[in-house]
Amino acid sequence: MDEKIRLLVILIPLLLAACAGQPPVKVEGDEVDTRVRTPASEDSAGVQVYSLQNPAVKELTAQAVVAERAGELDKASGYLERAMRIEPRDPQLLQQMAEIKLQKSDYQQALNFAERSYDIGPRVGEICSRNWRTISVAREHLDDASGANDAEKRASRCMNTRPKRY
Amino acid sequence: MARKAVKSKSKSRRSRSKSAARQKPGLFRRLFRLLMLLAGLAIGIGVPWTVWLDIQVRDEFEGRIWDVPSRVYARPLSLYSGKPVSKRTLLLELKASGYREVTDASAPGSYSVNGNQFDINRRAFIFEDGSKPATRFRLQLRSGIIGSLGGVSGSEDPGLVRLDAAEIASIYPLHDEDRTLVALKDAPELLVTGLQAVEDRQFKHHHGVAFRSIARAFVANIKAGKAVQGGSTLTQQLVKNYFLSSERTLMRKANEAIMAVLLEWHYDKAQILEAYVNEVYLGQQGKHAIHGFGRASEFYFDRSLQDLEPQQIALLVGLVRGASLYNPRRNPQRALQRRDQVLEIFETTGLLTENEVKTAKSRPLGVTSKPRSGGSRYPAFLDLVRRQLKRDYQTSDLSSEGLKIFTTLAPSEQEYAQQAVSKGLEDLKQRGLPAELQSAMVLADVASGEVRALVGDRVAGRNGFNRALDARRQIGSVIKPLVYLLALEHVDDYNLITRVKDEPISLRQPDGKLWSPENYDHKSHGELPLMDALVHSYNQATVQVGLKVGVANLIRKIQQLGIVVEVPAVPSTILGAVELTPIEVAQMYQSLAAGGYSVPLRSVTAVLTPQGDLLSRYPLRFMPLENREAIALLNFALTRVVEEGTARALHGLLGSKTIIAGKTGTTNERRDSWFVGYTRDRVAVSWVGLDDNRPAGVTGSNAAMRVWAGLFRSLPIEGLDLRMPDGANFVWVDKQQQALTDPSCPGAEQIPFIEGSEPQESTKCLKNQSRKNKESLWRKWFGRKD
Repeated sequence: MDEKIRLLVILIPLLLAACAGQPPVKVEGDEVDTRVRTPASEDSAGVQVYSLQNPAVKELTAQAVVAERAGELDKASGYLERAMRIEPRDPQLLQQMAEIKLQKSDYQQALNFAERSYDIGPRVGEICSRNWRTISVAREHLDDASGANDAEKRASRCMNTRPKRY
Repeated sequence: MARKAVKSKSKSRRSRSKSAARQKPGLFRRLFRLLMLLAGLAIGIGVPWTVWLDIQVRDEFEGRIWDVPSRVYARPLSLYSGKPVSKRTLLLELKASGYREVTDASAPGSYSVNGNQFDINRRAFIFEDGSKPATRFRLQLRSGIIGSLGGVSGSEDPGLVRLDAAEIASIYPLHDEDRTLVALKDAPELLVTGLQAVEDRQFKHHHGVAFRSIARAFVANIKAGKAVQGGSTLTQQLVKNYFLSSERTLMRKANEAIMAVLLEWHYDKAQILEAYVNEVYLGQQGKHAIHGFGRASEFYFDRSLQDLEPQQIALLVGLVRGASLYNPRRNPQRALQRRDQVLEIFETTGLLTENEVKTAKSRPLGVTSKPRSGGSRYPAFLDLVRRQLKRDYQTSDLSSEGLKIFTTLAPSEQEYAQQAVSKGLEDLKQRGLPAELQSAMVLADVASGEVRALVGDRVAGRNGFNRALDARRQIGSVIKPLVYLLALEHVDDYNLITRVKDEPISLRQPDGKLWSPENYDHKSHGELPLMDALVHSYNQATVQVGLKVGVANLIRKIQQLGIVVEVPAVPSTILGAVELTPIEVAQMYQSLAAGGYSVPLRSVTAVLTPQGDLLSRYPLRFMPLENREAIALLNFALTRVVEEGTARALHGLLGSKTIIAGKTGTTNERRDSWFVGYTRDRVAVSWVGLDDNRPAGVTGSNAAMRVWAGLFRSLPIEGLDLRMPDGANFVWVDKQQQALTDPSCPGAEQIPFIEGSEPQESTKCLKNQSRKNKESLWRKWFGRKD
């Protein structure tokens, strides 16, 4: 098991309550929120499992989020790439990048980044669900309907599979 | 002075003939004809001549002054608390970025150091994602990492600071010229005013030619009986530099004067002065002329022009009169006299005070003993940058001037890599290997494929044959992992402990010859587990496996890993009778090191226009390979090469037990030595051999691995992450019995398997253990005591 990733569990029932009512309808341009982030957060029942981030990476991630919200996707990718130079194996960075790629309609790269995030990530919890939901959306856009379906199912298992150990 | 004579003659002739015509009307017709003839000659020859000179000089001027080179930057070093960085590395990076050590870092571009505490004043800088103002911060190193990072006041925490990127070269992406241009506004004030004081005091007022200066020089020369003074203005000198020729004819002087006047007509003083500062001839390095103060400053002082001290500026200004005569390396005494003479002029013209001149005169020349070779410290890396720019960018984009090119080079790691090669080969010579051995090295970031260092020659900075990119050599056993990777992809036939045969084998080659590969130790080792054949790099077993998986598939695999060259489809390819360059080998192994997430190796991350707009970016793109579980298994086996196989000396060389994957390679008659190794974050390839491909007595572990270790001794090493992807798991097995076993049983080892390929059998020991466990469970459930 990767010693570097110290899993941290934070309960945010209040946030969950706020999100729970949203219908999973596809909104143009907002696919990432409606089809990846919100359902993943619902899946995880408010349980977020993520690694402790280096403060420099945290700062860059925050800047990427701001840029993303402002619709500046290239700028957001730039921040994430800088963060990845510092922490090349941070599953959250890779997943965040996958979601940016999704918004840029670069589905193949969205798929690749999400898979890599899953491979080196905890393979459980919210990030796992985001990984597979991103893969599902990307596959759908790449005309792989059955693959998309498999990924969707796999996402729902993120809460009951435990990471493999050796 | 000759110019003056010509001009005044024609003037007086014209006025005389005019007045003659008025006084003697009888001669009017004849004189008018003569006048017309002269005017016709003047117009017919003089005008086209002047126009031609005008075209010439404007072409030259505009062709050069606007040809601002592109600046190439290294990657900026990110500093944050927790970052692994040694004091030596930090000092190297500061030096590369042109920082000066001072006692109080109050000026941007300086730092002070006290034990392990650094106070750094970062310059304002345009990074690839925007400009950042100057900032002063303090950092504390604690046992190899940045323990704390904070503002100087101690209150603000910058969190993350980037050092301004080291400027590693200025290049014309489409040519091979190397210059360091300076904008007039960036040139030191003392240089700009001092040049005028020494060379042309009338510069601000004349129109290209200063008659008073010419007269003064004329008188001085007459008095001395030889040419002791020049009356050329800066503008004339500039023209002279454009059309460098040794002839000193009247005609040439006249042309120079006309062109100088024309230049002044077309351009303003600042433009002319800027051109002069960048154009004037200031020295010679072999076949290459040193033009301009920017380049000269690097050439003589290994510093940027902006960082020069008054006496150094004076030396350069003095060189204008005669770069060869006052060459400070060859004629230091004469250069010193000239420098002091210039300093005195600075004083009399009020540019420096008496005290400043006194201090400046007391200083030594300060010239480096050897000029920096080729203008850049990193010729091999720049070679890669040039090629990738040409490959990935539009020619029209690259022809724009003054681009900022951001690259992936890590100056400290480049320094370590070059030292590892230079010192490593020196050490191999001591061990009895040939003195003329050559070497190449490529160091890249595993996840991003960014090239951090590239060494193409044993001599630092030598700009010649770039072995890292161009030495095409047989790769030998470095190919073997791909053979085993192919085998592991056949889940039904192979796992890491499948028995393979290491026994004599003979094959008919396409040319009809019989090929009977032998092992390195000239022995056959019989049946053994697949991974052991790789770990000990047995040739005969590898050929057996290679023939089963197919040479054609092996070639396809090489291509999948990003190699585009033609590979011969013959059995000997299985043992690496394939010629690849070190960077191609690095590309192949990047894919493995990144667990199958292949990225093309890259040296350029972004190109910015001079205004700071992003011209183009290379975003990070993965190209995932299939069967990544098999790659994970292979990576595990390659860590065993370092633990117990052909690279087992590596831990000793590194003085560390960190988990590293590696593979040695040796070719026939010990011509080539290869080592490829990777940690969690870095992959590096080193090659050692002779340029003429003679046998060199080298093996993978006796040469290239030593050089590799020389580099990694200086780098922070994170052990490889051996966690298996979905679809593969570590299982306790007995390798020799090819059976599942219990951790407590003898011969038990944890080895990864792709799901479904685990052994079906169990060891006797495991069966006994299970029985015992079952019994104890039974007892536990039913409350009986053991």
